[in-house]
Amino acid sequence: MKPDLSVIIGSLNLKNPVMTASGTFGYGLEYADYFDPAMLGGIITKTVTLEPRAGNRMPRIAETPAGMLNSIGLANVGVESFLESKLPELENLKTAVIANIAGNTVEEYCLLLQKIANHPRVDAIEVNVSCPNVEQGGLAFGADASVIEEIMHCMRPETDKPLIVKLTPNVTDIQSIAAAAESAGADALSLINTVLGMGVDIQTRKPLLARITGGLSGPAIKPIALAKVYQAAQAVSIPIIGLGGIMTGEDAVEFLIAGASAVQVGTLNFIQPDGALQVISGIEKYCIDHGIERIQDLVGTLAEA
Amino acid sequence: MYIESCEILTHEAITKTVYRIVVSSERLARECYPGQFLHVKVREAIDPLLRRPLSVHRVIPKKNTIELLYRVVGHGTRLMSGLKSGELLNVMGPLGNGFDLETPFDHAVIVAGGMGGAPVFFLIDTLLDMGKQVTLIWGVGDGKEIFGIETFKARGVDVQIATEDGTVGKKGLVTDLLIPFLAKEKNNSTLCGFVCGPECMLSSVQKLAGKTSFPWQASLEERMACGIGVCRGCGVQLRNADMKMVCDDGPVFNLKEIYFEA
Ligand SMILES: Cc1cc2nc3c(=O)[nH]c(=O)nc-3n(C[C@H](O)[C@H](O)[C@H](O)COP(=O)(O)OP(=O)(O)OC[C@H]3O[C@@H](n4cnc5c(N)ncnc54)[C@H](O)[C@@H]3O)c2cc1C
Ligand SMILES: Cc1cc2nc3c(=O)[nH]c(=O)nc-3n(C[C@H](O)[C@H](O)[C@H](O)COP(=O)(O)O)c2cc1C
Ligand code: FES
Repeated sequence: MKPDLSVIIGSLNLKNPVMTASGTFGYGLEYADYFDPAMLGGIITKTVTLEPRAGNRMPRIAETPAGMLNSIGLANVGVESFLESKLPELENLKTAVIANIAGNTVEEYCLLLQKIANHPRVDAIEVNVSCPNVEQGGLAFGADASVIEEIMHCMRPETDKPLIVKLTPNVTDIQSIAAAAESAGADALSLINTVLGMGVDIQTRKPLLARITGGLSGPAIKPIALAKVYQAAQAVSIPIIGLGGIMTGEDAVEFLIAGASAVQVGTLNFIQPDGALQVISGIEKYCIDHGIERIQDLVGTLAEA
Repeated sequence: MYIESCEILTHEAITKTVYRIVVSSERLARECYPGQFLHVKVREAIDPLLRRPLSVHRVIPKKNTIELLYRVVGHGTRLMSGLKSGELLNVMGPLGNGFDLETPFDHAVIVAGGMGGAPVFFLIDTLLDMGKQVTLIWGVGDGKEIFGIETFKARGVDVQIATEDGTVGKKGLVTDLLIPFLAKEKNNSTLCGFVCGPECMLSSVQKLAGKTSFPWQASLEERMACGIGVCRGCGVQLRNADMKMVCDDGPVFNLKEIYFEA
């Protein structure tokens, strides 16, 4: 029997627990030549900001063992162009579309939300308070529970659509931040964004990234991501969307067992354009092999050591 | 689907560090265009994690084969050099825009530096099939990296070589050959320039190209992750302040429009 892979995140019904992570799947159709994005549980679009951004100086990507560093700096088309030319292209796409936003100030977050929340193609909003690659906001916002509360208090009255807060792992106490987001009205949490990292070319003594530090993603961060997801799941009762280094269905199952209700795949998309589909079929196979009828029965089932 | 595991037919060292790999793919042989690249996963493992972009070096349509020419410079290319014929090479592609050969010109002057020689072979093969006149100015550090030029000469290509060690052709840089060429030809509107090579070479050719009245196309290199415009990692700055992606808007750009820091 085919297992039931559907999951519920707030008022959002996903056909399966696998979404593609912001910044790794463009605005939704870039990979359509490789597979039908309607097969995904959902897509999360690239972070949009009020104004278009070109991003940081090159080099802004580099490879490290089992990981990649990026300091893209939220290069995006800006919210107006997103509304006018990107979202309409997704009109007939039969999967959930989650729009990801980031501002430099609390007011900017609110303004962005007001602009996009009522769009019929936006099924949920992921609030990026955690990008390590911009001067203002970003990391500082995500590391401060009181600022997250402020952003949520300002946004919550504006929409009934699910608000998903995307957290950074670059904090000492993920539990208090997760709890603050929940009590301020978040419907779900996504974690983790990239881990602050750096690399040096010893021949030239130059940093691998022009910005010196950047965000580490890929398999190298999976153990960190799992620990953060596990800790956050202990602190809140809203659903958690786990991500960080997922390459296979087995990786995704680890996140589900640790307490995530759904997952996202990021860096994998760059390496294997249809990798997200392999993650879905890997989860399905695990369920069949282990007699699990509903994927939701697997969530948070970590056994005692 | 533009991902394929292609059988490796031959894999040989041309010098101590430069390798040629020949793979079989009917689809790629049909679809590849000069100046495009393949995004290669050197092995099925999480390390190295990302694909590596390599230009299409040559296509032999009759044999359904694609050739790549690469230099071992780091972890990924070192592992790649250990692949054996009969094994599979996982590639995404063809990617990128390729050279614009529709633009009107009769005579191509091609300037290649170092591994910039890789895409040039496919370009020349195609230009000769189109009946164009071709001048190749090719510079390398080590004369042993010059190969395959006799067949081009036999097909009428004007081949000029510069080597830093002086073992083949003129001792010096490609610009030492380009300057006298342009002294005669800079206002010849039947020409089109093509440049492939390291950034410092592109930047010095750009200065010379600025004084010519014909168009120039340059193939750029930048570190890549996705290879298809999604990650926004491989930007190139244009003089009008626009940022373009090398993988998706390029790798071929109008040389005169590129902004070089140096
Ligand atoms: C469109 C395109 C076409 C290319 N075609 C060819 C080709 O036909 N033949 C060939 O030999 N090389 C080509 N390159 C360069 C090739 O991609 C790199 O040499 C290769 O990725 C290095 O991988 P590595 O793991 O061995 O090196 P790493 O260990 O990753 O790095 C070693 C060194 O190589 C440099 N490097 C890494 N990636 C790139 C890159 N994408 N572009 C330029 N330098 C890089 C690094 O700065 C470092 O100094 C091309 C690059 C691009 C963008
Ligand atoms: C090139 C790149 C760009 C990214 N851009 C964004 C972004 O715009 N907004 C965001 O919230 N996260 C962004 N991320 C973070 C990813 O969504 C994800 O949180 C992180 O990469 C960890 O997952 P992974 O290991 O599966 O890639 C980006 C990651 C990468 C590698
Ligand atoms: S490599 Fe991702 S945008 Fe060019």
